[in-house]
Amino acid sequence: MDRRRFFKVTAATGAGATLAGCGNPENQLIRFIPDERLTPGLSEWKPGICPLCDAGCGLIVRVMPGDAEVIREGQAGIVRKSLAKKLEGNPEHPVSQGRLCVRGQAAIQVTYHPDRLTQPLRRVGARGSGQFEAVSWDDALGELLDQLDALRTDGQEDRLTLLTRKTGGQRGRLVADFLARFGGPAPVVFEVFGDDVLRRANDASFGFRQLPTLDLARSMHVLSFGADFLGTWNSPVAQNVAYGDMRQGRPGRRGRLVQVETRMSQTGANADEWVPIRPGTEGALALGLAHVIMESGARESGDAGRAGRLIEGWSEGLPAHTPEETERLTGIGRDRVRRLALEFAENGPSVAVVAGGPLAQTNGFPTALAVNALNALVGSVGRPGGLVFTPAPPAAPAAVRGEAMAAMAARILEGGDSPVRVLLVDDTNPVFGAPPAWRVAEALEGVPFIVSFGPFLDETSVLADLILPDHSFLESWVDHIPESGTTSAVASVAAPAMRPLHDTRSMPDVLLEIGRNLARPLAPAFPWTTFEDMLRSVFEVLPETGEGWDVWGASRERGGWWRDEALRAPLGTNPSGSAVGMPDAVFDGDPADYPFYFLPYASQAFLDGSLAHLPWLQELPDVLSTAMWSSWVEINPRTADRLGIADGDLVEITSAHGSIPAPAVVYPGIAPDVIAMPVGQGHETFTRYASGRGSNPLAILAPATEPETGVLAWASTRVRLTRLGGEGSLILFAGSLREHEEHGR
Amino acid sequence: MRQDDNQTGATPAYKWGMAVDLDRCTGCEACVVACRAENNVPTAGAEAAARSRAIHWIRVERYWDGEFPDVRVRYRPVFCQQCDSAPCEPVCPTYASYHTEEGLNAQVYNRCIGTRYCANACPYNVRFFNFDNPVWEKPLDLQLNPDVSIREVGVMEKCTFCIQRINEAKIDAGAMGTRIEDGALQPACAQSCTANALVFGDLNDPESAVSRLSRSPRGEKLLSDLGTAPSVTYLGRED
Amino acid sequence: MKKKITSRRRGVGWAALSAVALALGGVAWSGFGVGQSPAPPQRTGSSGVFTPAHASVGEAIRHFFGLREPASQPIAFSHQVHVEEVGLGCDFCHDGASVGPAAGLPGIETCMLCHSGVGLDLPEVQVLLRHRDEGIEPGWERVYGWPEESHVRFNHRPHYIRGVGCASCHGDVSRMGAAERAVEHTMAFCVDCHEQEQASNECTACHY
Repeated sequence: MDRRRFFKVTAATGAGATLAGCGNPENQLIRFIPDERLTPGLSEWKPGICPLCDAGCGLIVRVMPGDAEVIREGQAGIVRKSLAKKLEGNPEHPVSQGRLCVRGQAAIQVTYHPDRLTQPLRRVGARGSGQFEAVSWDDALGELLDQLDALRTDGQEDRLTLLTRKTGGQRGRLVADFLARFGGPAPVVFEVFGDDVLRRANDASFGFRQLPTLDLARSMHVLSFGADFLGTWNSPVAQNVAYGDMRQGRPGRRGRLVQVETRMSQTGANADEWVPIRPGTEGALALGLAHVIMESGARESGDAGRAGRLIEGWSEGLPAHTPEETERLTGIGRDRVRRLALEFAENGPSVAVVAGGPLAQTNGFPTALAVNALNALVGSVGRPGGLVFTPAPPAAPAAVRGEAMAAMAARILEGGDSPVRVLLVDDTNPVFGAPPAWRVAEALEGVPFIVSFGPFLDETSVLADLILPDHSFLESWVDHIPESGTTSAVASVAAPAMRPLHDTRSMPDVLLEIGRNLARPLAPAFPWTTFEDMLRSVFEVLPETGEGWDVWGASRERGGWWRDEALRAPLGTNPSGSAVGMPDAVFDGDPADYPFYFLPYASQAFLDGSLAHLPWLQELPDVLSTAMWSSWVEINPRTADRLGIADGDLVEITSAHGSIPAPAVVYPGIAPDVIAMPVGQGHETFTRYASGRGSNPLAILAPATEPETGVLAWASTRVRLTRLGGEGSLILFAGSLREHEEHGR
Repeated sequence: MRQDDNQTGATPAYKWGMAVDLDRCTGCEACVVACRAENNVPTAGAEAAARSRAIHWIRVERYWDGEFPDVRVRYRPVFCQQCDSAPCEPVCPTYASYHTEEGLNAQVYNRCIGTRYCANACPYNVRFFNFDNPVWEKPLDLQLNPDVSIREVGVMEKCTFCIQRINEAKIDAGAMGTRIEDGALQPACAQSCTANALVFGDLNDPESAVSRLSRSPRGEKLLSDLGTAPSVTYLGRED
Repeated sequence: MKKKITSRRRGVGWAALSAVALALGGVAWSGFGVGQSPAPPQRTGSSGVFTPAHASVGEAIRHFFGLREPASQPIAFSHQVHVEEVGLGCDFCHDGASVGPAAGLPGIETCMLCHSGVGLDLPEVQVLLRHRDEGIEPGWERVYGWPEESHVRFNHRPHYIRGVGCASCHGDVSRMGAAERAVEHTMAFCVDCHEQEQASNECTACHY
């Protein structure tokens, strides 16, 4: 029986390999011979690396045979493939230690997303119209090569720019080297919630331009200034693991958490003491605490070394920062200031950490320096229970950063010949995440040729002329070097856990192929054919760590190379800068017109919005509001009462730069003059699950910047609230439960 | 050769239980997504979720205390308590909800006829009904776990303590003639829990981690005055 | 071939999309993996969704009463030849039974272990070779199994370990051509043996 005569062979429409509209109703689909030898029902566990944030948690991926729908030579059918089924933390990985956060658990949906781009696309309609046609890889790469060759012919290599979110690891090195060898500038990095202010401050205070690692498991007292370290900031899994041990991992010793913030965060809910503070005054509080500690004689100003000398007035004991003055600035009572200070100094090992809103102010840099000095004062830097800096593994590439996104956009908008002729977009979304005042979308309109490697259509990639979709992380060789989250030196690596589902290609492999096929080859040429070759060449020369001489083989098997290292003390004694004062934070908007401080925050489900396309995360009830599939704005109960706003009412939030609607959530954990809103929803274009849903708080932010670093001060916008009529489609999980709040049970 | 697979009548070899250390739980909700990924829990979508039809076998509750500026929040992960005196069992007309010899409240999907009386009786609100046939937009269905049933419309579902993992571990242990090692068998939630707050194990083994935690002076059962005899012990926050 | 792809600028509600898909009347349950799927996979229509919903009332009724057509196989395979004459053990082809839940149906690569050289003149082997050349599996139909609604999660491995012979549940296949459903796997059939062998009769040993 010739099975093929039973089917009309229909050309696939729409997205490539998935079966949509094919098949004869009466018969089984044909089954193709698989490429792999698989026994049904059996699982294998393979290493992986989670790509969703920069912590780089090591994974193990459960892989089992299953039937995938495919189209081969125009024929629809099914084939048994090895499929990833579940992600878990890799028990051996120094960062994840066998655990995995809520977002990492959802990451598997990236690979199987119904709206994933399945093949290269070329724009056919107007830019941004979303009209593309499928093209072959040969045609697509040919077109990109033509563009790059033209740049070289015109001697305009410096007009190739790459826009990306992450620059680390060997992948980051390959990308940076490609650009450098071509003659283009270093990659432009765009991240909504970048931590550059803190990195700069750590460099100045301690000589490490790097995010800190908190040794919570050995700490007895943690003082957090707005850092959501158990939720979304830095290396959440590692921090949670260590926090659990801080609390209950040492019999008879329980560490204490004090959280100072403007809005009760997921982390703040765990605090033994929650201290609300006036926005932008966290640095003043840190100095106020330092003043008390020095005045009490518990420590001396010189104990803070280099970090202290960066603060104006430090060596005199910060005479201006009395508890009374601190109370005036921060709103925290003077007695409380004294008590917090002495507890921090006396109940060691203690550690202070600052991140998020406090650093997203116009005084963010001095704030970070102040907290660093506070840490140095109590001797927590480079010591157990304090803050340390993750050592780099051998072969870690040097960090390479190009100009800032805002500057690039501004240069393009200056008019005339665009300084960027070919823009490569590597899975970052500034059209969504940058403030409208930067006019990123308008700037991109002025770029003659845009290529996107992202696996999804979003507000930025929809503007591309050519889309070369990357594999998902489970289908590709991946590597990562963690900046923080461990005291070991770590270089993670993982082979593809499964074969590609679609006609996508690994972006680093595409770059290597482009490099080989330019009319005038890159000089020097890359010695590797594939990214796998590059990884092998790097790993096989790493030092042995007791797993045997085949370092590459051992690394592939366990998910990377790692080695315990001694804790590193801060470098140098002479500060790398002059002393700074503590200016007041400046907020955009006249308080008379805009009475509220506006705090957009990285949401538990979506971080900066880049995860809004994952349905499991849309359906995740936010832990503090229980909201699902929604945007919302958090309003203090007294304020809500005064304005006549109840849960679910639609309100309008207006800054001097724009307006957005959102339903209200009456929220006890926020000051009467502050409103907060999670970032993540409000996508116009980002798959069926996120498009047209909710509002984007980033769209009304003032383009204020932190002066030292030029980074967006995203917590410095003021707004007003207007009650619009009607309900705001707020979906709560708690609202569906019978029980009411229990008290004392 | 007859293997002792620990499933013979008389005294159950295992009694499964869990401990939740609220001093460790940080509200990260890793457990919530780990569970739905492992157990093929369907995604309801915005419209169904708005009609209270979202299914979360495990959820993290938060209890607000006080008024600004003296506000506190406490987290509490809640899932099926596998009650020894489960109110959901006597009310099921078809014995779809029954108690196993190992202390689990089992939900037998093929027996369930959807009266929803069990959900009505459950004081913890951990039982969820499939009002619609679940739908996975392809190729999201490729992620489905073949070891776990797909529940169709009209069937009740809830946390099973990852019974598929329990059964697998028993087969493995039976094949080797050993007991399941404490800590080797973990439901998806406990495996992913970032702060190590969720602990699963055999309450019949006095030295198991869950037994030791259950004896903690901080330990309490939820709604203990109702007489449900839950198999889950909550260790209170120490602040 | 040029194809147009239009992005969704205004998001279609997820549930609305699934409602549309269901309304097409073409949504089908499909076996999502050979591991635990009891009956041969069937697909209908143009849906881009996977759901346990039945494709038709008829299918629902057939599943409920456990009615199945006898399997029809693409090639006139003879167990008698392979088992009695050639002397292959069951797990030569059905190699999953000793190690996991599903015994499995052999892929064409298993057949090719011999038939890339043996029996090349036989018409059935030639059909097999044509499939191989086209990259298509023969498409064997399953003979045993249960509808998904019974929620039976049978696992071969503990039975294999316990020494339950294949013929106990599958009959004397060595006399058959293609496998026939010689034994009716009613619940009573399973429970009787479980009681006799003192294996678990917890519902959740099999239904979970």
